[in-house]
Amino acid sequence: MKLASSRGIRSITGAGRAGRLARRALALLIGAAFVFPFYWTVVISLGRPGEFSDFPPVLLPHWDWSNWSRAWHAAPWLRLFGNTVLIASATVLLCLATSLLAGFAFGVLRFPGRKVLTVVVLSVLMMPGTVLIIPDYVLANDLHLLNTYWIQIIPWGASVFGIFLVRQFFLAIPQEILDAAALDGASRLRVLRSIGVPMVRPALVIIAVNVFLGSWNSFLWPVIMTSSSMDSSNTVQPVEVGLSTFASAEGTDFPGLAAAVTFTTLPVMAFFLVLQRQFIRGALSAAGGVRG
Amino acid sequence: MTSSLATVPAVTATTTAGPAVATRSRTRRRTPARDFRTTRWGWAYSAPAVLIFATFVIVPTGYTFYVSLWKWNALNPAMSVYRGLGNYQRLFDSTQPTFGSSLWHSLYFSGAMVIGGTALSLALALLLQRGGALLNASRVALFLPHATPVIATSMIWVWIFNPRFGLADWLLHSLHLPTSQWLQSSTSAMPAVIVYSLWHEVGFTTVVFLGGLAVLPNELSEAARMDGCNAWQEFWHITWHQLRPVTVFVVAITAITSLQAFTQFYQLSDGGPVYATTTLSYLVYQEAFVLSDTGYGAALAVVLFAVTVFFTLVRRRTASGADSALA
Repeated sequence: MKLASSRGIRSITGAGRAGRLARRALALLIGAAFVFPFYWTVVISLGRPGEFSDFPPVLLPHWDWSNWSRAWHAAPWLRLFGNTVLIASATVLLCLATSLLAGFAFGVLRFPGRKVLTVVVLSVLMMPGTVLIIPDYVLANDLHLLNTYWIQIIPWGASVFGIFLVRQFFLAIPQEILDAAALDGASRLRVLRSIGVPMVRPALVIIAVNVFLGSWNSFLWPVIMTSSSMDSSNTVQPVEVGLSTFASAEGTDFPGLAAAVTFTTLPVMAFFLVLQRQFIRGALSAAGGVRG
Repeated sequence: MTSSLATVPAVTATTTAGPAVATRSRTRRRTPARDFRTTRWGWAYSAPAVLIFATFVIVPTGYTFYVSLWKWNALNPAMSVYRGLGNYQRLFDSTQPTFGSSLWHSLYFSGAMVIGGTALSLALALLLQRGGALLNASRVALFLPHATPVIATSMIWVWIFNPRFGLADWLLHSLHLPTSQWLQSSTSAMPAVIVYSLWHEVGFTTVVFLGGLAVLPNELSEAARMDGCNAWQEFWHITWHQLRPVTVFVVAITAITSLQAFTQFYQLSDGGPVYATTTLSYLVYQEAFVLSDTGYGAALAVVLFAVTVFFTLVRRRTASGADSALA
């Protein structure tokens, strides 16, 4: 990490070794506090029946896996996981394609109406999901798309963030590189595929991980759009909606619910921890883009 | 690694300044390059994204206005009854939960998130800036809640806030502080949702501030130190001012996501107790999908849209002001 040297804080906390140590200790404490709720959930899920309501709270697990098997057999979790992975992956692929094409158009190509289209795409940022859920539900109903995978994929298959991130990367490429390829007679699609894609790959990775996570974590949209897809054997609902249904059915079984929360959250957590560098780069680029 | 990415926008800032000029001078010399860039096919390249936005975002926004003028029949739209502005007049009726109170709850929540979230994440960014394995690990720990689903983590916090056996009261108890009923009392329910939301969101904004800090030029801070500024003066007069565009961005994005927040109100507090956490977003859902009054829900959605646009435009104005102040 080559972050610039500290401003201000150095003299506050870094007066000496003691200050540095205090700063580390504070950072460690805060980090632990942020992770602690997850740890406690695991403890509850592995606790003995009735133990969860002890006061003071039990802070060490008893390794009783019966809550896990009870929760696991109460809902078609594999099917729900499969749905989530399918929806999230398809959304990512669609989003990569649309972001790449539109980012190339806005960043490289010149065509009449480009400014208008840019404003149109930017205006999408102002239209909140909660506002759109009503008309999109009416629309999905008319198109017979309710309770399908399609309605959970296609509407999220374009991202303003993705388009502008790809555009930023294209603007940063020296113009000569793309122009030279065009001089050699390559078509635009060919230039995009063989030169553009490798050069904007970091942007594509950032988009992929963020869209995947956004799709995995979404709730309002799938719960409204798949509300009558409860049939457990061939439901199209994602795992988070399944978890919510499970919670309202088994709300008093805290250890079982804690187990369900744990095993539905572990995959997404692992995904984040493996790719955390990409997420943090995404957030960092959001900050850098402020000036652009 | 981070710094190399963070410099990308700086590069683009200079390229965006004069792309038109650059291409014009270049194309005079090389016609094929001009042909390569100038093409009506640009429409086709942007079409897939634009079509998705038009179908599911832009046209539906207009359609919301239309639906809001009707007593909408969700099962058979042909049976809908025209109401004109009737749904908007109903906003000011005094039936519970009132529009006024839900608007106030939205602003209360968003205000607390903007002020609390911005201050907290700036403080955390100052604490965690510069490498070191341990500080990096803390940064990942902070970001982790943001990466996990709101629905699952809300369930965890229902237990944390439990007044009988929850961690929150246990902590207050051990510190000999007065305990709280948290989600079960109408006065403390909203603060509880805010505590949860800060835990979930602050990791992202902290990293955004870290990104901003990483690209700040060093010279001013060094000069200030040479002139004998203390740490606080240096932060207040130099860093805070240089960070202003990033702060504006964090404020804007927090305001907009907070106005739209829905899932934590659904899972954590169910809009209650006694509607104490029924925000505008939650009321839209409640009216349209639970009480099946789609037309009235659409009218509420239009108001929510207006509030969002208002905040976005305010942001635009202040953002351009901040940028020109920097330039």
